[in-house]
Amino acid sequence: MIAVLGLVVGVVAGLLVRPEVPAVVEPYLPIAVVAALDAVFGGLRAMLDGIFDDKVFVVSFLSNVVVAALIVFLGDKLGVGAQLSTGVVVVLGIRIFSNAAAIRRHVFRA
Amino acid sequence: MSDNQHSDSEHHEHAHHEHAHGEHAARPGNQLRKELPAEVPAPAPGAGQRPVPRPEGSLTGRQRLVKGLWPPRLTRPQLIVALLLFGLGFGLAVQVASNSDTDSALRGARQEDLVRILDELDSRTQRLEDERQGLEKQRSELQSSSDQAAEARKQTAEKERQLGILAGTVAAQGPGITMTIEDTKGTVQSDMLLDTIQELRAAGAEAIQVNGVRVVANTYFADAGKSVSVDGNKINAPYRFKVIGKPQDLEPALNIPGGVVQTLEKEQATVSVAQSGKVVVDALRQAKQPDYARSSSQ
Repeated sequence: MIAVLGLVVGVVAGLLVRPEVPAVVEPYLPIAVVAALDAVFGGLRAMLDGIFDDKVFVVSFLSNVVVAALIVFLGDKLGVGAQLSTGVVVVLGIRIFSNAAAIRRHVFRA
Repeated sequence: MSDNQHSDSEHHEHAHHEHAHGEHAARPGNQLRKELPAEVPAPAPGAGQRPVPRPEGSLTGRQRLVKGLWPPRLTRPQLIVALLLFGLGFGLAVQVASNSDTDSALRGARQEDLVRILDELDSRTQRLEDERQGLEKQRSELQSSSDQAAEARKQTAEKERQLGILAGTVAAQGPGITMTIEDTKGTVQSDMLLDTIQELRAAGAEAIQVNGVRVVANTYFADAGKSVSVDGNKINAPYRFKVIGKPQDLEPALNIPGGVVQTLEKEQATVSVAQSGKVVVDALRQAKQPDYARSSSQ
């Protein structure tokens, strides 16, 4: 419950504050958000499976974000940033879908 | 996360679990699946699922979800997760907000994207420029052709006026002469009037009317008792001719020895000829549409 509240508060704060995104992190923010979403879905699934561990969640969340940003950064340096970020989004999207399917089975039993 | 937990430590069970759910088969080895029938309120009879007593301390995913949501507990894991989710929500909202700003749509774009967009804009500009030139050329062509059409119309109208003067369908004015033939004795006959017309035409008369009757190409003169008929209109003396043409040519042509004036005076008629700077020939004649003859010019 506190976690859900945290998400809601974060969205509201982001909408209210509307901070200027620094130009340095601007290309990485969307990818980082998608990676974090993937981590959140994975955590939700693990919780439903009864194997949730907060340490693992924290590490996976942060490492997902960092790795995603790193891949985009590397792609930018190599000149294939657009393609690499597309690939990252595709992979993360597939994982989000499979996690969502598992969650759905738990919640709706279907 | 799921991969961190499933694929790192429980890869086997994960695959197994997915498989079992995908096939909707109750496998004895799958713990999750085994406990499902206990949760179904009314298992369908003959579904082939054995009700298995739930092991102590094991909950379904749904129960865990409900338990995690309510009541809210201020535990360390909850706080940490809340913090991370706060970060996620914040980033999400910021990204969505900055993405929906139209003016900053290009701000987050990469350099190569910007170059590509610039190239596209350049080529689009080029294309539109070409199109504009083509359209302008077309416009000037249309304009010149419409100018030509207006010129042709003007010339046609001019020609119509000129032909109308000849055909007697429009009034005419200009320098010329007026001639009056007084015939007190009734000796003037149609052939004398016809001679007069011929003489005037030979001298270059361009428009003629006699007592309000326009003289045109097919005009005829006929005797009608004491008077004269012109194209079927009876006219009586005095005969007044209004003639447009060069006065210096017309008057001598009538007055030459043995000419019209002398012939008429021999018949006891009185002829007076006066030059005028402005003669108005305003008698009109309806244009007759030919029944058979058609223009062969087109």
